[in-house]
Amino acid sequence: MTPQNHIELRSVRKAFRYFTLDDLTLDLPPGQIMGFVGPNGAGKSTTIRLAMGLIAPDAGEVRLLGHAMPEHQAIAKRDVAFVSDDMKLFPHATVGWHMNFIASIYPGWDATYAATLVKRFNLKPEQPVKGLSHGEHVKALLLLSLARRPRVLILDEPTSGLDPVARHELLSEFMDVLRDDSRSILFSSHNTVDVERISDRITFIDRGRLVDSRDKEDFLERWRRIQLQLEPGAVLPELPNIVGRVADGSFVTLTTNRFSTALIEQLGSAVREVHRMSLEEIFVASVFHHREVAGS
Amino acid sequence: MYSGLNISQTDARPMYLQIMEQIRQRIAAGDWAAGRELPSIRVLAAELRVSVITIKRAYLDLESEGVIVTRHGKGSFVAEVNGLAGELQEEKLAEHLTAAAELARTLGLTPEDLAKRLERARRSVEKK
Amino acid sequence: MNSLTYKLIAKDFQQHRLLIAGTIAIGLVSLLVAGGGTTLLFNLGMLCWLTAIAAYGCVVAMLGIATERKERSLLFVLSLPLGYGDYVRLKLVGLMLCFFVPWAVLTAGAVVLVLAAQGMPDGILPFTILLCGFLLTNFSMVLSCALFARSEGVMTLSIIVHNIAISIFIFLIGPIPAFRDHLQDPAPTWGSEFWTVLAVEGAVFVVICSLPYFVAARRRDFI
Repeated sequence: MTPQNHIELRSVRKAFRYFTLDDLTLDLPPGQIMGFVGPNGAGKSTTIRLAMGLIAPDAGEVRLLGHAMPEHQAIAKRDVAFVSDDMKLFPHATVGWHMNFIASIYPGWDATYAATLVKRFNLKPEQPVKGLSHGEHVKALLLLSLARRPRVLILDEPTSGLDPVARHELLSEFMDVLRDDSRSILFSSHNTVDVERISDRITFIDRGRLVDSRDKEDFLERWRRIQLQLEPGAVLPELPNIVGRVADGSFVTLTTNRFSTALIEQLGSAVREVHRMSLEEIFVASVFHHREVAGS
Repeated sequence: MYSGLNISQTDARPMYLQIMEQIRQRIAAGDWAAGRELPSIRVLAAELRVSVITIKRAYLDLESEGVIVTRHGKGSFVAEVNGLAGELQEEKLAEHLTAAAELARTLGLTPEDLAKRLERARRSVEKK
Repeated sequence: MNSLTYKLIAKDFQQHRLLIAGTIAIGLVSLLVAGGGTTLLFNLGMLCWLTAIAAYGCVVAMLGIATERKERSLLFVLSLPLGYGDYVRLKLVGLMLCFFVPWAVLTAGAVVLVLAAQGMPDGILPFTILLCGFLLTNFSMVLSCALFARSEGVMTLSIIVHNIAISIFIFLIGPIPAFRDHLQDPAPTWGSEFWTVLAVEGAVFVVICSLPYFVAARRRDFI
């Protein structure tokens, strides 16, 4: 229904005293979940705040649901929910107060769904926010965001500090959001297992720059670890798309980011094993390769 | 439409392959009959808590194998023609026969011996 | 969205209602003490009354803005459908309202005290009104600083400066002959000096209150 992207960043640049986000281009179409992965300090939170209009880019364009940010954030935010792991509710009020507050602001509030989530997340409406543990606080924030059925959910480390049961519940709710192909989710996370499982698209970021952004299945198909055993005196041909090479005597482990059967044929009989890589391994290898190429 | 499929986190194989295998199993067993509608991609993704793109890929690959057919705008269905059941069984048969041939060679059987043994097995199955 | 800003202002007011009630209570009691008849009681009472209003102003500015920022509930507010300008506006209006209510009550109380108390000459009324006006203008400056101060250090400095400003006001304006000479009069004198100072206070108040709008219009980063 909405052909336009939900989130669009075009060559965005934002400079701080000790850190610069540069040449960042990102697209999130409707109906997709994007996992946003990067080391600490890579610029994930900055990117998310740029998308939400909380900070303005020095160069480039930011659009949220088609609205230019930060100028039109008041309109855009009507349909967007934002939860960050360093966000807190008003300490002097109760969870229930917040539910009424949000319900009175957003017409999309679904009271039945909210009631279900309260039970599922094991929260108590009459509990003052002050007394909530970090995990409960995050769950309360997520409840408030999910129950208003926003078109876009932007989440900065939503599962940090949550126990496995809560994470399981949360991922179910996220996937439920995606039953509607006009809604989308952008979430940043260190939990590469979760990202690998539920993301449609994955973006890697490191030191303020985009490392890679593509469909998850693309990542999983392109990357391999190839284990070789070389004959004494044998030399490996120079092959393109080999981003890592570790040698231990006659055993060599190659890492490639463009796997193909042709590559295996070229390596010939030296190949002992070919392994797929987990998203975490791909992420680490990507970042190191990117840093090497960038010369830093 | 609850699918009953299950993705294992500890299974080393990619998720889309696990999904494909489980769907093939159900079709081969006859649980999912020919012509039956498969869960929609998004519904299955939500149920399994797996990304939509993974389900899409599984369905695409199953379609290219002829196991399922996708009718644009209507959904995906278990293929009518050939019954996957038959195809899988064919594969299994080929595997078993190759194995038998190899064993026969190891044992030093002649082609006539092998044929006789096969006939004996066939008869005993018929009696059941 | 207008309804959102209204709700957030109401929330700020509700959050501070105990503080407001407490300040009014302390202020009124101080005024009663000040009307006790002796110079000592007068000085004591007026000092308490003055401190109550000034201290309350600082607390409101701190709680309403700096603490919200520190407590990360600012991020929650920013996730709501409003822009930076909306936020500055609602903080200004909301917290000004929080200050205005007890200030108005205690100003009225002081005026009543001067007029009603037996031993108190009505001649001190003009100065009292100017002092009350100054407290309001002073608060507007504390509030504006709080809206744009990025560090606690700057915030603390601002509070110190503005508290000193109150003493400076008393020492500067008090000795002006137009006021000092008529303090003991039985009836108040509304001279041109009175109206001048009042006008200046009013002008400064309006300018300070509109400053945030202009700064907000230029600034583009919430955080």
